[in-house]
Parts: sequence; structure tokens; C-alpha cells
Amino acid sequence: MDADEIVGPCWRDFADVLAAGVSRVLLYGPPGTGKTFAALHHGCGSLPAERLVCTEDLTSGEITGTWMPAGAARFEWREGPAIRAWRGADGLGSRLVLDEVDRASGDALATLLAMTDSTASARWRNPETLEWVRPGPEFSVVMTSNIDDLDDVPRPLRDRFPVAIRVDRPHPAAVASLSGDLREPALAGSLGPEQRRVSLRCFYAFDQLRHHHGASRAAQLVFGSEAAQSVLDALAIGAVA
Amino acid sequence: MTRAVIFPELLSGREDEDLAQPWIVREGSTNRGAASCDLAARILEVPLDLSEQARVVRAHELMHARVSPHAHHLERALDEVSPRALECAEELRVNTLLGRLDFDVSLLRDGTEKMGGRRLGEAGEWAEALCFMLAVLGTGAEKDYLAGIRLGCPSWLAPLRAVRKRALTVFAQSTHTLARTRFNDEGLPSGYACSTLVLARALSRAMEARVPMVADELRSFRRSLEPGGRRPATGKFAPLVFDESLARRSRPSAASVRVMRPSMTGVAMRYPGRFLTDEHRRAFAQRARRHGGIVVIDQSGSMDLDGESLRTLLRDAPAALVVGYSHRPGDRGATPNVWLLCDRGTVATTWPSGNVGNGVDGPVLHWAIAQRRANEPVVWVTDGQVTDSHDHPDEALTEECATLVRRHRIRLARDLTEATKTIQSNLSTPRSRLANFGRVGHCLLETGAMWSK
Repeated sequence: MDADEIVGPCWRDFADVLAAGVSRVLLYGPPGTGKTFAALHHGCGSLPAERLVCTEDLTSGEITGTWMPAGAARFEWREGPAIRAWRGADGLGSRLVLDEVDRASGDALATLLAMTDSTASARWRNPETLEWVRPGPEFSVVMTSNIDDLDDVPRPLRDRFPVAIRVDRPHPAAVASLSGDLREPALAGSLGPEQRRVSLRCFYAFDQLRHHHGASRAAQLVFGSEAAQSVLDALAIGAVA
Repeated sequence: MTRAVIFPELLSGREDEDLAQPWIVREGSTNRGAASCDLAARILEVPLDLSEQARVVRAHELMHARVSPHAHHLERALDEVSPRALECAEELRVNTLLGRLDFDVSLLRDGTEKMGGRRLGEAGEWAEALCFMLAVLGTGAEKDYLAGIRLGCPSWLAPLRAVRKRALTVFAQSTHTLARTRFNDEGLPSGYACSTLVLARALSRAMEARVPMVADELRSFRRSLEPGGRRPATGKFAPLVFDESLARRSRPSAASVRVMRPSMTGVAMRYPGRFLTDEHRRAFAQRARRHGGIVVIDQSGSMDLDGESLRTLLRDAPAALVVGYSHRPGDRGATPNVWLLCDRGTVATTWPSGNVGNGVDGPVLHWAIAQRRANEPVVWVTDGQVTDSHDHPDEALTEECATLVRRHRIRLARDLTEATKTIQSNLSTPRSRLANFGRVGHCLLETGAMWSK
């Protein structure tokens, strides 16, 4: 097996893109493959990444910031995760992770477009200090989505992310803490169609439960009574040698 | 209605070149042949009902997905192994592994096996009967199937049991060994190579064998199943496989072929000097007769093709059709067993060596007779031994060849030098020389054929 087969071509692509300094990447594909984990931890140095989970109720204030009460009859401006990521440490910028970006509403989407624009074009004014803020040179954005079709991402937003990588399997590092017999099935568990996908989280839960309650009971609890036996059969046959 | 879910993507542990890819699952049934695993196209056809039998059928197909080799590994064996033997031996490996994982393989039956066994016996389909027995061995269908065979052809039970015993011996290896997909030194998945392939080889030989009817034949049949055992007698010739790869040139060099011949009569005096030098005064020229004829050469291990003699033959009979033959015992059509050394003027530039066995004596004589023009002679260069496709001498096949020799006045020659003389003469093989031609010669002598003294 070559490195691609072990790591999976998608993760190899992601590493290559980050290594080349591309600062706008879209990761999409089935859930439970560790897209968010990778976006939060891979290639963002020592600084913690800022994270935004998009929903229909997401407001612009949750992206750029909002006025908050600060004592009696006084408000102060609290910057949101996008601006914090623009600034990073010492104004250098850090990683902004946008989860489930396809779910963002119209207003939030407009703000996200402004926040993810190119470094040269993007700027924002702090309403309290009237300071103009620009993204730092090390600012990067990784969007994640569970969509299977890129057309589901709004066109202007998609245009800001020239590199889109379909992640169809977990990163091998993400299965390292599983028991040995579950690592390979966990890597391939997300390859099938939706009704047959077994996410990494399910494997973690199954692994933990079976140590306490046995494989059969653990499978019942995690996969449900209808799928439990089939999962156990596949795992047993996979481990035959 | 609730349907079962199957998780082929969760199968792990393959060590060959198989890549983790999504599968397409289609609904099949528990009936025989209605479930399948296509490893190349990643299609799994399985029953999706919730019965325990359906679960075992699903597990069976999953086991194929886990351990069965890709098609190109199977194809590599097809020159010596029947595809059906390979398929059924692999079924046995999969069922054996399932049984060891405590799946209830007694549920692998659909109720048609008894009738199927009976029909195979009645129709005399020995090869399929053997294969099918391996496909059901160890499952709930085995007993019914053998009961059907007992009704259809009870004499097959003893050889079937011999094959069964051999199969169980081959599959007595550890589960780890049987299921392993790591490549061996020959680039084959090791579990498949040490079990399925070994059994399929023995099975392919047994499929072609004449069904043993008496104790001696049964003993010989049993020995043939053992490792290193000699292939059992088949009692039939192999089909002809022509070697189409031989390069040819148009004819022997012109200098060696005489076109005109001196003659005492004619219309143009071509050799006036011969009036003085030739005691017969052959000063005229006459077109030399170009000898034709068909020469069939046995190139088996017991015969040796002498290149110089062949050149002499081609010089003296340039219009001849010369064909060599020799069959590789047990070969299934991958190795050519007949080749045209000279085809009415074109000559092969290389001459293949033989493949050890005879195996196709009858078919090649039939073919030669069909090529015969007018009454040209057919010469068979042979030692008189006739063997079947597994290189066993066979009385019936010898008689068949002797009948062809007698009926079509085929001339016999021990070697090419003799063949060259024989093709130019108008004489049949003298009766006094028939004893030199082994079993065929003896057969001809016994039948009291019409031969010149």
C-alpha cells in the first residue's frame, strides 16, 4: 500500500493545499469523517482556530460582533469569531472554521461573503473605535459541509473557495485511539451510501460500550436493533484472518 | 416491511490490491444463484429479508468480498483449471470459513439439491456433479444432493466421496491460512493459492477423468487426487488448438527445389550435352513432378523431430502439407497442440518442440484426411502409441486411429526419412512392418486389414 491508500487521497490533498499556502478551502462530504476536526487542527499553527457553526438563525452579530452590556448604562463592542480570526495574535491572523456553511441564512451569508473575501479586498470597521480592521497575513478559512453536491453551496461563496475537497473517509490519525480491530472498518465506514454510513463517533461509542457490556449489547445500543447484527457480522467476517 | 441492512464497506483485513471503495447493494434472494458478489464492479446481490437463512447468505457473499481473489488472479489459472472447478472450490473455502465463524451453514440450501443431484446423475453430467458437490459440501444441501446422486447414478458415490475426502484434507488448514489475502511469491493471494487453487487443480483433472467403475480404476482415481498424483485417464482426445503464431516464409529456397528434369523426349532440347554424357540421352527437359501429400508428425516426448530430415522431406515434396502435433497433458486449450510446419509451399521458420504427450492423435488424423486433395498420400509419422488428453494409452482411442489408418489408407512411418520415401512411393505400409508401430500396428495386424506384403 502506498501512502495515499493509508491516508486516503482526500487527506493528502488537504495537506498539500495547506502546505502550498492556499488560505481558502472547502471540505465537504459525508458526516462523521473528521472534517471539522481537521479544519480546527491541521495547518493552523499554535493559535486556536475560531469556529462558527452556521444555522438558519445565525446572525451577522454572531459573525463580526455585537454590543454587549458592560455595567450600568454602558455597552461595549464584543468582536465576533470572524474578526478575532482576522486579527489572530499580534494582527497576524488565524484560522476561521465555518461549519455547515450551506445552512447560513441570507443576512449571515452576506456577512460571510465579506469576511471570506480576499485579503486585499476585505475590511471591516469597528463601530466602537472606528478602527478599520483587515485580515492578517496568516488568516485562513476552512469551510465544512455535509453536502454531497457542490452546487448546494451558494455560488458567490463557492467562488471564494477555489479549492474544494471531498472528504469521504476519516483521517487515520482520527482512528488511532480506537481498538485495533475497529480502525480499518472505521476508516471505510463512511464510504457507503447514507443508510449504510457508520460515522467515526459511532465507532468510538461502540468501542467504549463493548468493553463494558459486550459487543452484542454495544451494537444494539449504537447501531440500533435492525443494523446491530449486520454490523457485527461484517466486523466478524472482516476479522476472519 | 422492514429490510435488513448490509455493511460491506466495514469489511477489513484484505492485504491484496483491493481498495476500500463503496459497494452497490442489490436485492437478491436465498435461491441458489440469486445472490452474488462482483468484486470488480463492487456489486453485492443479496437477500434483504430478516430470516436467519438470508443472514447466512448475506454473510456468504460478504465472505467472498473479504477473501475471494480478483478476476485477473483467477484468469491466470485457467490454462490448467476449469472455471467451474475454481468457482466451486472457492465456494467451499467461503463456506468453510463461514462455518468456522459459527454461521449456521446448514441453512445454505434451497430445497432443489436432491432433484438436481438426481438429474445430473441421470444425464451423466459427471463433471458438474463433482463441482456441485464441492459447492454444497458442509452445507445443509450436501446430504440431499448425495441422496439425489444415489437415485440418479449410484456408481458415482464412491468417486464423489474420494473427492470429498481430498477436499476436506485440503481445507483442514488453519482459518488464518485459508483466509489470507497477502500475495505469495507467485503474486497470488496466499489463502486462495494454498486451498482453492490446489483443490481446483485436482477437481479439474477429476472432471475430465473417465468415471471409475471398477476397483482398480477407483484406486487409480483416488491416487490421482493426491498431491503429485498422475492425472487420471480421460478416455478421450483433447480438441485441436492450432499454433497461429508461427512465422512462415513462402517456400524452400529455389535452389533446393528442382523445377525441370532431364527427359528422353520433349519439344525443346535443353541439355544437348547429355547426348554425349548421359547413357539414356536425356537431352530434353520435362517439368518435374512436384510431390504433394500430407505428413502428420507425432512430436510427443517419445518422438524426435530431426531438422535435416524435415528439410530433405520439404525438398523432395515441396507441395506437401506437413503438420506436427503434441498435446500438453491436462492442458485446457492455452497451449497449442498442432502446428503447420509446411503448408503447400510455405514453410514455418521455426519448428516448435513437442509438449510431452500425444493427446490429439485422432483429431489430427481426421483433420489431415479432411485436407487431402484427390488421392494424395497421407503419411503418419508415429511410434504407434495413442494417448488420451492426460497422456494415458487408451485401447478405444488406439482402435479409432487404427480404423482411420485402415479406412483412409494412411501410410505409417517411424521417422521423417522413412516418411520421405513413403510419400514418393505408391505403396502402403507393408504388413511385415506393422509390428514396428506399437499398439496401432498390433491393432491393424489383429484386424487383418488389407496390406501389401
